[in-house]
Parts: sequence; C-alpha cells; structure tokens
Amino acid sequence: MAQDMTMKMIPLFIPRSHVSTAGNKTGSWRFLRPRYDEKTAPCSAACPAGEDIGRIAMLTAQGLFKEAWEAILKENPLPGVCGRVCFHPCEPACNRGEFDEAVAIHTLERFLADTAARYQLQADLERRSPRKQRVAVVGAGPSGLATAYFLTRLGYRCDVFEATPEAGGVLRWGIPSYRLPVAVLRREIEQMRRTGFEIRCNRRLSREFLQEAGATYDAVYLGCGHAKIPFLNIPGEDLEGVTDGLSFLQRVNRGDEPRLTGRVAIIGGGNTAVDVARTSLRLGAKPVLIYRRRRADMPAFPDEIQMALEEGVELLELRTVQRIDRAGEEYTLTLRQVPVVNCAAAGKACVQAVPQECERLAVSKVFRAIGLTAAESWFDPPPNENRVIRLNNSVLAYADGAPIIAYGGDVANPIKSVVHAVASAKEAAIALDITFQEGAEAIGERMKHCRVGGGSALSMEIHMQGPRCRRSDHVVAFDEINADYFELSPRIVQPRLLKEERIDSFAEIELKISANLAMREAERCFNCGLCNQCDNCRLFCPDLAVVKDADSGRHINYDYCKGCGICVVECPRNAMALEEENQTQMNTAEEGVHGRLT
Amino acid sequence: MLEIRFHGRGGQGTVVATILLAKAFFRAGYYVQSFPLFGVERRGAPVEAYLRLDEDHIWVRTNVYQPDHVVVMDKTLLQGIDVTMGLKPGGWILINTSSIPPNSEQFSRYRLAVVDATRIALRHRLGTRTHPIVNTAMMGALARMLEMPPLEAISKAVEEEIPVRPEQNIQAAKDAYDEVQLVGLTGPELQSSAG
Amino acid sequence: MKQVLEGSHAVAEAVRLARVNVISAYPITPQTHIVERLSDFCADGRLDARFLRVESEHSALAALIGASSTGVRTFTATSSQGLALMHELLHWASGARLPIVMAEVNRALAPGWNIWTDQTDSLAQRDTGWMQLYCETGQEVLDTTLQAYWLAETVNLPVMVILDAFFLSHTYEPVDIPSQEQVNGFLPDYQPRFQLDTRNPCAFNQLAPPNVYMEMRHNIQQAMDQVLSRFGQMEDGFGVVFGRRYGEVEPLQCDDAQIILVTSGTITSTSRALQQQLRADGERVGLLKIKLFRPFPADAVRRILGGAQKVAVIDRNCSFGAGGIFAQEVRAALCNLSARPLVFSYIAGLGGRDVTLDVLKLIYRHTKDCEHCPDDSIWMGLHEVHHAT
Repeated sequence: MAQDMTMKMIPLFIPRSHVSTAGNKTGSWRFLRPRYDEKTAPCSAACPAGEDIGRIAMLTAQGLFKEAWEAILKENPLPGVCGRVCFHPCEPACNRGEFDEAVAIHTLERFLADTAARYQLQADLERRSPRKQRVAVVGAGPSGLATAYFLTRLGYRCDVFEATPEAGGVLRWGIPSYRLPVAVLRREIEQMRRTGFEIRCNRRLSREFLQEAGATYDAVYLGCGHAKIPFLNIPGEDLEGVTDGLSFLQRVNRGDEPRLTGRVAIIGGGNTAVDVARTSLRLGAKPVLIYRRRRADMPAFPDEIQMALEEGVELLELRTVQRIDRAGEEYTLTLRQVPVVNCAAAGKACVQAVPQECERLAVSKVFRAIGLTAAESWFDPPPNENRVIRLNNSVLAYADGAPIIAYGGDVANPIKSVVHAVASAKEAAIALDITFQEGAEAIGERMKHCRVGGGSALSMEIHMQGPRCRRSDHVVAFDEINADYFELSPRIVQPRLLKEERIDSFAEIELKISANLAMREAERCFNCGLCNQCDNCRLFCPDLAVVKDADSGRHINYDYCKGCGICVVECPRNAMALEEENQTQMNTAEEGVHGRLT
Repeated sequence: MLEIRFHGRGGQGTVVATILLAKAFFRAGYYVQSFPLFGVERRGAPVEAYLRLDEDHIWVRTNVYQPDHVVVMDKTLLQGIDVTMGLKPGGWILINTSSIPPNSEQFSRYRLAVVDATRIALRHRLGTRTHPIVNTAMMGALARMLEMPPLEAISKAVEEEIPVRPEQNIQAAKDAYDEVQLVGLTGPELQSSAG
Repeated sequence: MKQVLEGSHAVAEAVRLARVNVISAYPITPQTHIVERLSDFCADGRLDARFLRVESEHSALAALIGASSTGVRTFTATSSQGLALMHELLHWASGARLPIVMAEVNRALAPGWNIWTDQTDSLAQRDTGWMQLYCETGQEVLDTTLQAYWLAETVNLPVMVILDAFFLSHTYEPVDIPSQEQVNGFLPDYQPRFQLDTRNPCAFNQLAPPNVYMEMRHNIQQAMDQVLSRFGQMEDGFGVVFGRRYGEVEPLQCDDAQIILVTSGTITSTSRALQQQLRADGERVGLLKIKLFRPFPADAVRRILGGAQKVAVIDRNCSFGAGGIFAQEVRAALCNLSARPLVFSYIAGLGGRDVTLDVLKLIYRHTKDCEHCPDDSIWMGLHEVHHAT
C-alpha cells in the first residue's frame, strides 16, 4: 500500500513508555502509614448488652438477615423481646442523630427476630467444648435464662429453677401482651433452652438451697428479680379492692381478664404503673395515674407514657395520696398537691407538700404500683465484704467450701430493664468463667478486654475470641465520619395500630415492617468504624497500593503506599487509621491479621 | 431558475414539503436546492422555507428574496405576514383556504390558487383533528398549479420519505391536485395585459 | 447514486462509508442532524460502531481520545459553544497524534444567542494542531469527510471538516453517495502506527520535560508541513475512484485577473455566480476559494494572488482587535513578495446574516474603486445601532 510506504516518513514523536512503573517503589517516600483499623460504634458502647449494632445493620442492609440475627444472639439471646420492650439507649447515641435522625435500631432488631421466627431459623452459634463445672440458676426471668444461655455456650452445665409454672419472669407475668406477645417470649426461651440447659418450673427454692447446692453445683446464680410492690404506708391501703399492680398484671397475663368500670386510680410512675393503667383501660376502666413528681420525672419510658395518654389514660402529676377511704363500692383518695420548689438542671424535681391543699378523687378501684423490691431478703446481694466482688451489673460472693453465689438482674442492676438483665447475666457468666478457669483475681484484668468501647458493656464475642477482638475500643464520633458520603434520609416511621384499635384489645400495638423497609433503614446506618467493603480505599488510592484479596478483603501493599492518607480520608466510616511511620513499623508483623478485613 | 417561498406554521410539515418537492423535482430532472429559514420555531410559530429549481447547477446560496411563487400553508398567516413581499408580478400564490379571501385585491398583481388542504388532510386523517398536516395536499395543489412536477414524482417522493400513512398522503396530494381552484389573475390591468 | 440529501446527512453518509468504529457526540444545533442520522445507522445496523452518549462535548472528545488511542477510527461532530468547550482536548488530540475526524458546523458564539452561521468558532481553534477543511456543497462535505480520514491517518493529526450552519448543514441538494466498494478503494482500513494493546503494554502522553517537549512540538509542525504535499497525492487517489477533485485552494480565472475575491464556505458559491456575471460584463475578476485553512496553503496563495492588483478577502469571522482572519493569513502569506497586491479585508455575514449577490457586488465595486487599501477590516452592511447607555 502506498500509504504504508509514506507513513514511515511522517514524523511521529510522542511521549510513550514501555517501562513499567512497578519499578518505582513509592512506598519509600512514606512517613505516614495508613492501616485498617476497625473501631467501636457509639451505639454498641451505649447498648448495655454491647450488641454489635453497626455490623448487624450492615448485614441487614445486605439482606443477610440470618447472619444479622445471629450477630445479635452472640450478645443478646432476646432480640424479639428487646426489639419490643427495650428502651434502646443505643439510639440517642447514634451518630446519625447529628446528621438527620438516629437509625431505628430497635425496629431493625425486632424485624430480625420476627424474620427468624417466620422462617423458623436455627442459629449456628459458636460453643465451647464442655467443662466440668455446673451452675444452678435460680429464677427463669430474663437474667437467669440469659445466664444459663451464656454459661452453656461457654461449656458449663446449667439447671434453671423457676417458682412459677412457666419461664419468663417479668417478661411473662409483668409485661402486657400488647407490648410483648407471649408467643415471642416463648420462642426465644425455647431458642435459649436449645443451647442445652434444663428449666425446672414450679420449683420454689428456699434459702437452705444455697447451702445444699454445694453438693451438685460449683456456683449458684440468683436472678430472682424484683417482684414485690412495697406498701405506701398510708391509711386505707390494706382495704380490699386496693390491689398490688403487679399481681393484677400477672392475673391478666394468666388469661383472666376481669371487666372494670368507672375510674380506677394507679399510684406510681414507673413502667409497672403505666402498664397497669393501659391494661385497666383495655378492660373497660378510665384509669388515672397519680404521680408525686412531674411527668418528665417519671421512671417509665417516655414513649409508653405518651401512648398511654393518647389512649385516654389521665395523669395527675405532683400529687401524693394521703389516705384511701371506702364507701360501699367506691373508694375516695385524698390527694395533696406538691408544688415544685426546686428543679435541678438534670435531676428530678424537688417537691414539698402543702398541708392545706387537699382534693378528693372518687374511684372504683386502686392499684399500688410504686417501685418494686425483691420478694425475699436472701435474693438481695450481701453487703460489701472481703470476699464479695461488686461488678457493674452483678455481685459475686465467694466462701470456702461453698459454691460461688452470683447475684444478677434487678437485684444487682442500677436500671431495671430487660437489656440490663442481659448485661448482668453476661457479666456474671464471664466472671464465673474467668473464676473457674483462672481464679477470681483475674476477673478485673480479663474483663477489661471484653469491654465494648471501654465502657461498662461487655462483649461475649470478644470474650470468646471472635473476630470482634480486632476492633479498637475507640468510640467513633460524628465528626470522624465522612458525612459527604451520606444523603439525608428520614428515619422509618414505626407503624402502629390506631388508637381506636388499641384500646379494644390486647393485640400488639407495634406492627411488623417489610424486609424492604428494614433494609432501607439499615442502609441509613453509618456503620461507624466498620468496613462495609465500599472499596473507596482501593478506588481512591493513587498508587494502586490497596489490593483486593481473593476472599474479598483488602490489604495495603506498603511497597507502593506512599502514605498520602487519601484512603483514610475517603473511608466514609472511619475504619482506617493513619499513623506516623516509625510508630507502627514494629506492628508490621500484625498487619497480616489486623490489617486484613474480610 | 425558479424560486418558491413557503409560509407555514411549525408542525404543519412546511419544511418537509419543500424537501419532498425538491426530491420530486430532482426525480423529474431538475437541479434543486431547498432549505428552511431557520429560526427557533416551535409548533404554531410562523416558518419560512425555500425551494430553488433549475436545469443547471444552482450556485447561489442565499435566502430567497424575490420568489417566483409563494405557497401559504395556513390562511391565518395572511393577517400577520406580507406573503407577497418580493413576489415577482404574475407569480402564483397558492393558499390553503376553504374560500377565496375577500380582500383578494392585495393579490391583484399575482395569480391566485386556493385549495382546502385542511379539509383534505382531515379527510385522510393526516395529523390530528386539531393539527392536521397539510403538506402533502399542498404539494399536490402546487403540482397542478405549476404543471410540474408530475404527480408520480410526488407519489414516489412521499412513498420513500414518509413512513406514516404513505397511501393516505399520496391520496391527499391527488385530491388536492383535483380540487385546487386556479383563480388566476385577479387584478384588472394584469388580466387585460395577459388577456 | 445521486440523491437529494441534506448537508448534515452527507456527513453522516461519509462516516458510515468510512467504517468508523466509535462515535461520541453531544447534541447542539445546527450539528444535531449529523449525529441523529448516525445514531440511526448504529441502531439499525447499517454502521457497526459504538455510539457513546456523553454529558458534554468535552467528554465526547475525551471519549474519542481514549478510543482512538486503541487504534480505531473515530468521529465526533459539534458546533460553536460545544467546540469551545472541547478546546482543552483539541490540543490533547493533536499532541497525542490521534487521527480523529470531527464535523464542525460553523455557528456563531454567544452572547447574544445565535444559532446561525459564523466561522469564528472554528477559526478560534486554528492553533490547536487540527487540520481545517472548509466545505462549500453537500457533495464536498461528503467527499471531504472521506478525505479527512485519509489525511488524518497519513500524518497522525486530527481533522475538522467544517460546514456552514443551515446554508449547508440544512440545505437539501443533489449529492452522489458512492458505493462502499468505491470508498474502500480510496480509504483502506486504518492501520495505526501505535495503539493501546494489552499484549504490548505501554504508557502514552506522560511527562515531557523541556529536553523533549520542543522536539515533539516541532514534530507536529513537520507533520502539518507534510499535509500540503500529501493533499495532492490524496486527491490523485480520490480522483481515480470518484472522478472529482477540489484542491486545497480552487482558483477561478485568476491568471489574468486584476481583482481576485478570496472566499471560503458557502459564500464561495454565491461568489461564483457573481464572478460569472462580472466576467460576462467584461470585468477582469477572479475568485480564489480556500478549502484548506490549516495547514495554510501559503505557497498556493502566493502563486495565485501574487500577480493580481487587488485582493478582496471576505471573512465571515472576526478576531477582535485584528479583523478578518482569512485576510490576516493571506496578508501574511504575501508580505515577503517584492511586488504584491493590495489586500482588502471585508467582514460580512456574521451570525448568519445573508451575504447576497448585492453585498458581494458592493465589495467588488468598493475594491475596484478604492485607491487606498485600509489596514483595518471593512464591515459590510452595518445597521445603525442605538447604543445602550
């Protein structure tokens, strides 16, 4: 071709190189060193059970519902219960709250438990090989059951003794079914039992059991709860028809649903008081809550108070009951107004009684529902002694020639909630495990490593040396998130029964959500401090020094990483760290494990 | 060289009419050139397009200022636009209208032809009821008026270029060919000079 | 086969016949008909090419730079603001020595918004290292697009095929569309001298420090110089197959002419009609059409214009502060001749204003009557303007 001949004569000098840039080891320029460094999300640190929420949300967003459910079960055997009745201290801690609105974590938790129930999933959880020690658990409430669950997974044989005909404790007898359907509880108890322990119901134990147990058991866990409502110490509270609110709830939960009429008074401001009010409303009464401080001071969860008021419960704040009088079928309460005299910035209102200002309230029934206490004095932990170890959520008492007595649940918890019951069960189980394996002296040091974000919550996964061990306990703050990667998106609105539907039945108020909605909500999660394989580190690396592994993890090729830190900046979730080169050099050997994320 | 100016409204197929006529005249052995006076017109706005034909190569590439004939696709244009501007005396003005305009004195120096292309287009369901496409009917009328190009050349161009309802379009051209009224010269002085 | 074809469609037919592999463009009036027709060809299988839709003209050319680097034939089309947006990558394409072909429909630059013809958009890119070929008819547009590939691939430089908005892009006239066999006989398959190839990895267009950059630029100049000699060779080959030739410039009765009009684009057509009329009236007038603007055919211009008394260059463009751009180039080409004609610079037809026979007559008459040739450009037919205060 003529064209070919002439082409060679046309000058063509362009920048072209056949030399590979691989010879240019840009890693030699590095004075800052990036590494993968997964951290702790604030929600996890705020969760008393230390659930791995960032990871749970990540798995949910990916549609891996079973894996997400199992991730909860590692730390908390009661997701169906907690998804419904937990007061979710995780959500106020959520970094997303500073961006738009916190992730609806409790909604996701409940969704995962419901999904597991719907498909009758069986969890595949890690379990240690059997150990020789045996533990007796007294009380099949949430803390007792969770203790047995954790100890069984740690390899110990457990027997659970329950005084009532059915396991569940306050969850079974104290919480109305519009908040927690019995079927949900039963399923989760069954799920726990299947890890391999026995529950002996109708076995009411006496104080002597603590002495006799030594023959069979190496430790006894006492999780007998607060099941007694104390007296008000006012005239007329022993009248027939003035009822203990907890007994009333138990009766209803057993299936006995008496018709109530007219106004009924509930004295108290805790969750029990609110539950009694809402239950009596459903049975036909017009309930009035009488509380001695302001609504804002009530120990009940604000959501529950809000719903109670919506449903028609009346609230009389700042009143104390002076006396109760009976006239035929009617009771008259004498109330005294107690104005606020001093309101500390963060504390409860201080009130002072005004003797002359009295009012009367006529009702058909009165419920006592003030702060609960333990039913028997020996359920409570002993005072501080030499051989008593007082932990955040549990107390252990050691004595020569006798089993270790561990106290957990309401009797040992500052806050009486289900998730705190789980927290104290986990704490006691880990403490017993350390005691059995290494001796009680090791508890302090060993437990430190299990703390989520260095706080009071413990992680069983960390204790059992799972992958969560690799996380740093640095709690990620909002300003450490690269918010440029997230779009504003509203939090899911929890669907509920209409008020009109609620007050007519004990049907569950909060409705199920679809998988689509759950995934969308889970996608809102920043996954603070966790790698979700977004691949930004690799895509942004100007030197192609981030290498994707066959198992879909990544590692940094330090031959070429020049330490520019772009990967760290562009990591949306702060799952990387940049450190001075000489500081981390000595850790290089560890990079093989710590630096690889899978 | 013959120069024809087309007045229409956006959406009536004015530009397409000049292209199809160019193709038909080319088929009939002429050298042709057609192009729009391009503005930023949309549906309903007045548009202009041109057609030049000659037996020899056409060199001039300017707009048409002194057309030999004028085609008016929409009689409402007569109010806003002087369609006779630059028109050579004795040239044809073909108007789409149902009746001869009452003030036809303004056309007294020209030959007038009218055709109800709108009715023909509606009859053959070309375009929509509110926006009938009259271009093929006007082409048929023009072919009769100028005695060129042959109707077959128009049919052929329509067949090749119009994908939608080609038979109806051809029939519309034929109907207009038959129905166009060649009023001819309306002014007395030209009538007499031509007579 | 001869058909009545729109100028834009003549470009599209040529691109189809050139067996282009990758097309990328962003729509802009009056170029849109070109790529609309090409996307039809890609969709109905008449052209086996990838049509890359992009978000801007800058991206369109960027995409073609990538595609062309792999050694395939590429095409884009644009106009006015679109070409201006491409500016950065125009330099890149020529510096990388990529034989990209672009159809450029001359349209005025805004503001005020104007979609009509004006050469300032393409002439503003004269220093980007692209060949520029200005066309006059639909046939020339089709033929020049085919020739552009030959030239581009021979010297490894990109080409703009330039046509006037509407007067050419939207005008229907008879055009002979050659057969694929004819085109194959003139334009062989593209054989790249370099290309990205995974079997022989290399990097292109990396750092060029001072010690090599100047040589690379000199190389582009040398390649441009070669175009002038290759042009005739190309047209010989073209003529064998198609029986037509255009010339990088086309002189019309210039040998004995006292006054020569210099034109480009569609003004040339109307000027031909005038020149014939004037000759018939006994005027010794010639016409020089400049088709190839980059590289500028200075030798041919000197040869043809050198003997005339007066030259009237008609520019549908303006380099503000300097005047008509063709006139500048013509004056520069003639300046070293010891005896040289007076060169009159006329600016006419900006923003689509019609350059009619009357305007051209006025230019001729003025050139003939004027004793002293002004240095500045003469603006034809300016209306009286009421200035904003």
